[in-house]
Amino acid sequence: MEQVLTRNFRLPQPPGLADYRAGGGYEALKVALGQEPEAMIEMVDKTGLRGYGGAGFPLARKWRARGANAPHPRYLVMNVDETEPGSFKDRQLLYRDPHQVIEAVLVTGFIERADHAYVFVRGEYAEGARRLEHAVAEAREAGLVGRNILGSGFDLDIDVHLSAGRYICGEETALLNALEGRRGNPRAKPPMPFEKGLWGAPTLVHNIETLCHVPHIVTRGPDWFNGQGVNGGHGTKLYSVCGEVKRPGFWELPMGTTARELIYEHAGGPLDGQELVAFLPGGASTAFMLPEHLDTPMHFDAVAAAGSRFGTCGIIALGSATCPLDFMIGIHKFFVRESCGFCTPCRDGLPYLNTLLERIEAGQGRPGDLELMLELCAKIAPNSFCAFAPGAIMPLESGLKIFGDVIRAHIENGACPYRGAH
Amino acid sequence: MLTDHERSHLEEHIARYPERRAGAIYTLQFLQQKYGYLRDEALAEASDLCGLSVTQLDELATFYSLLLRRPAGRTVVRICDSIACHLAGAPALLAEAQRLTGAPLGGVSQDGSVTVMPHVCLGLCDRAPAALAGEREVGGLDPVSLGELLVSLKAEAEG
Repeated sequence: MEQVLTRNFRLPQPPGLADYRAGGGYEALKVALGQEPEAMIEMVDKTGLRGYGGAGFPLARKWRARGANAPHPRYLVMNVDETEPGSFKDRQLLYRDPHQVIEAVLVTGFIERADHAYVFVRGEYAEGARRLEHAVAEAREAGLVGRNILGSGFDLDIDVHLSAGRYICGEETALLNALEGRRGNPRAKPPMPFEKGLWGAPTLVHNIETLCHVPHIVTRGPDWFNGQGVNGGHGTKLYSVCGEVKRPGFWELPMGTTARELIYEHAGGPLDGQELVAFLPGGASTAFMLPEHLDTPMHFDAVAAAGSRFGTCGIIALGSATCPLDFMIGIHKFFVRESCGFCTPCRDGLPYLNTLLERIEAGQGRPGDLELMLELCAKIAPNSFCAFAPGAIMPLESGLKIFGDVIRAHIENGACPYRGAH
Repeated sequence: MLTDHERSHLEEHIARYPERRAGAIYTLQFLQQKYGYLRDEALAEASDLCGLSVTQLDELATFYSLLLRRPAGRTVVRICDSIACHLAGAPALLAEAQRLTGAPLGGVSQDGSVTVMPHVCLGLCDRAPAALAGEREVGGLDPVSLGELLVSLKAEAEG
């Protein structure tokens, strides 16, 4: 398999415009500018390319939903608000090949006939945003960004918007509010952003990794793309593994690579003297998978069939020396802090769950706590305003079920069985 | 107070958006950089520039975690305590930081050089436990290297 999105990562520094072009960069833009958008939508449709920000919505369907006749102005937003615990793939694309990011925005902008593009970057990635701004300035100077791009008559300017924190801003409607200078609370849907997004105009929001595939598909075609995958997956994927493994890291590999290969071969397997107990397959907001699921091909459908969610495919491994309840607290406290506070089940329900988790871990759990937590999970997820609380509940609820015995042991013994055990 | 040059820089940035309020985040970030945190004067200046009331700006400043409404040390050190860093020892780092600075998390160290606070996933999970010192990434921390980092930030503040 060839490196596609990471082909320039071997360079000691992120390539500037000259080096990026020397490696074939901006050729896809020329190819795209000579084609009809519908033909390119058709190509992407044949790849089945889905959103890699976590939701997995097919890109071509998103384009068709907005349609070719949407009113102007139209906005394109690239979402680089990566804050999902256990996910650090988007960071690599932003920091290590900014011109690839720009070319992805330009090709997509042409397909969408967008009037203006924003790259929304989380505040913690300020250095990456600066690199991207520098690259945009270089590209603008060379006639690749701005008016009449490469003499095609197509205009597209790109602004880099550095955000100021908060996980929820990665949710696309919260992102729109954040970009407009409001608090990042999610908006009600419908209307969908493609109908009424930024300043009420049609807006398409896409993850950075998703869009970085588009120029390659446009130049090399869907058959080439599909041929890169294995085990029913299409294309390549930026996978990552972190948590209790020997060599946490990220790798571009065929989509459909198994969890076993990722965890044991690429990440070196569990820490010395430990065994793998469970893993979250797609960042913090996904349900636990177990060692019996290790041969699952890591793509959207196979992970869903195994009862979890592909998400961002940032795998987080739990080893046998760590208390699973402590792991669940480590996951859950993130959601408690990051709830935007707009709706009550999320704002009040998640901290309540955290209180219960922490008192059990501290040896002060009471009989019935486990059942109470399961009841809360069942009530919070369906009654909250956006997908945040369901995402928080997913690892928790699955953990409460899988590790029920461990949790009961905490309650019955009045202590964490893992304390002092190592 | 903003200089004429700073004001025109901000005006120019704000004018790139269809609505002035969209420039509020950039303006607040700029003012925080200038003053160290968003003191009342900063909100008043942003209010003039962005066409928002001070209360509306306060709503933003208290929502976004990178905007600081209270005084902070010269460098803000954000120690990630999300899952990968949690597993790799973030709780011990946060405890050690409080001991070394003599200040609670979010407070200013006695010498004014740093404010240490926990932060959500920084996307440095492969280098856990990790932190941002200002905008600089630091990975593979332990209590000893955290202590060295704080000493070097103190030296910077004094130098």
